[in-house]
Amino acid sequence: MAKRTKPRGDNGSERWRPRGGYLRGWLADHVRVASDTTLFISQRMLSSLLVWLMVGVALTLPGLLWIAHSNLQTFSQQWQGNAGLTVYMKLNASDAAVADMGERLRQRANITRVEATTPEQALQQMLAQSGDSEFLRQAVVAVETNPLPASFAVVLDTGTSFLALEALRRQLLPESGVDDVVIETTWLERLRDLSDFASRVGAGLSIMLLLAAVMVAFASVRIAIESRLGELRVLALIGATPAQMRRPFLYFGSAYGIGGGFVAIVLIAVFLNQIEAPLLSLAVSYQVGVQIAGFTSPFLLVMLLLGWLLGVLGALLALSQRTPSA
Amino acid sequence: MSFLQLQHVSRRFDNGSQGLANVSVSIEQGSMVFLTGHSGAGKSTLLKMLIGAEQPTSGRVLVDGSDVSRLGSKQMPWFRRQVGVVLQDHNLLEDRSVFDNVALPLRITHLRAKDIERRVRGALSTVDLSNKGHLFPRHLSTGEQQRVGIARAVVNRPRIILADEPTGNLDPYLSRQVIALFHQFRDLGSTVLVASHDIDLIKDQGCRILHLSQGELVQDTANLEQAAD
Repeated sequence: MAKRTKPRGDNGSERWRPRGGYLRGWLADHVRVASDTTLFISQRMLSSLLVWLMVGVALTLPGLLWIAHSNLQTFSQQWQGNAGLTVYMKLNASDAAVADMGERLRQRANITRVEATTPEQALQQMLAQSGDSEFLRQAVVAVETNPLPASFAVVLDTGTSFLALEALRRQLLPESGVDDVVIETTWLERLRDLSDFASRVGAGLSIMLLLAAVMVAFASVRIAIESRLGELRVLALIGATPAQMRRPFLYFGSAYGIGGGFVAIVLIAVFLNQIEAPLLSLAVSYQVGVQIAGFTSPFLLVMLLLGWLLGVLGALLALSQRTPSA
Repeated sequence: MSFLQLQHVSRRFDNGSQGLANVSVSIEQGSMVFLTGHSGAGKSTLLKMLIGAEQPTSGRVLVDGSDVSRLGSKQMPWFRRQVGVVLQDHNLLEDRSVFDNVALPLRITHLRAKDIERRVRGALSTVDLSNKGHLFPRHLSTGEQQRVGIARAVVNRPRIILADEPTGNLDPYLSRQVIALFHQFRDLGSTVLVASHDIDLIKDQGCRILHLSQGELVQDTANLEQAAD
């Protein structure tokens, strides 16, 4: 046996302290634990895959809801400027009544813009939109009079709610010369309200699912601790520090969390790929341009970080329940 | 100066039983001492106190002048790295090779890989298992497993070796081999304390014997020799 070194220190417990090389040792220990964790997981690949899948599924819905929410927000923000209504005058309304209505609309608060369309302009627009249809042209000639009324496209201030639009519609309907008032973006407002509702429900569901991910990591790490109690007793006897005994399980939690985050990314990518075509088709039917956004590099990073965080949280919970000791 | 000291140490367990009762003993550095007594006499409790796994109800346990029960959680691991522990049931890790089992105390001390290899080879050679490093514990006989446990206890060059019934599962021939190994480590400077109930094995080893009964130190051969002198 080689010459042994007597610990320094004059008395008491001072001699039982680490001396030097701490950072190198700390790094070496992390490398060793990372290697052991890889080995442990690879030896239990099936159960590890199941854990990743469970954490991944739990993370998928919050991820999808976040993408859906951010897309709906962008979509509604893009359309907010167009929220408004159209005032259709009666066919027999006089020019003076039409002009008077235009003036009164322009004087109202919360109205950004008022665009007047004469019956002639409306007819021209209709013919243009119909692609110069010969049938329509012949029908207009046969009627001999212009069947379209004068109208006002009213654009309200940004952020005007559906309730305010509805109130304005009710105020305008009894006005002299007004035939009908149509809120042009009712569907968008309803979508916005539905989106707000869905966001709140989604947030609640997401919190529950994220808690479920923590619980999955907790249970898996707890099992790992139980299966290695014998090893932990040996480690405690030979002088492993509490941090050294906890470290493998924090690595397990991290591995389960990051793996779950990766699974969630794959599931979200598959889901978005599947809904992209029908969503675009739906958007075209509403004459709206839609492009799914949000599945970006920062989003992927956040998913992995979130998975890691939840995994570590689960591991810390498990360690607090079953602290390895001598 | 005494290296290991128990000063009026008592240990009463939660169920009321007495583990140790007012035990006082001093052990010199570099000596080999046997601890004997029937099952439940307090041998394991005494050894556990020396590694800080058990706390005395009263009295002090001193190792090289340090009160073990006063070591904090940050100091305890470094203290235990100076102590090699051999247990009757070996406590080998079944999913690790013999080499990795013996290397465990070195890996937590962050030695370089080549130093670990050199020291593990040396420890395995000492216990005559040089050619079994690649095997797993289940491939070894009981005696070989015990020797792996001893190699793991001494690979870190501990100043103290504590062995709790290290020959409990071994036949007389293997038991003498194991005791011979402890003599070897004592000769190299370690202080060795071996707990065993096998009187026939230890009586002719020429070492000091402490006899415990129901938690009390009832006989110390060092005192008998002093009395004879």
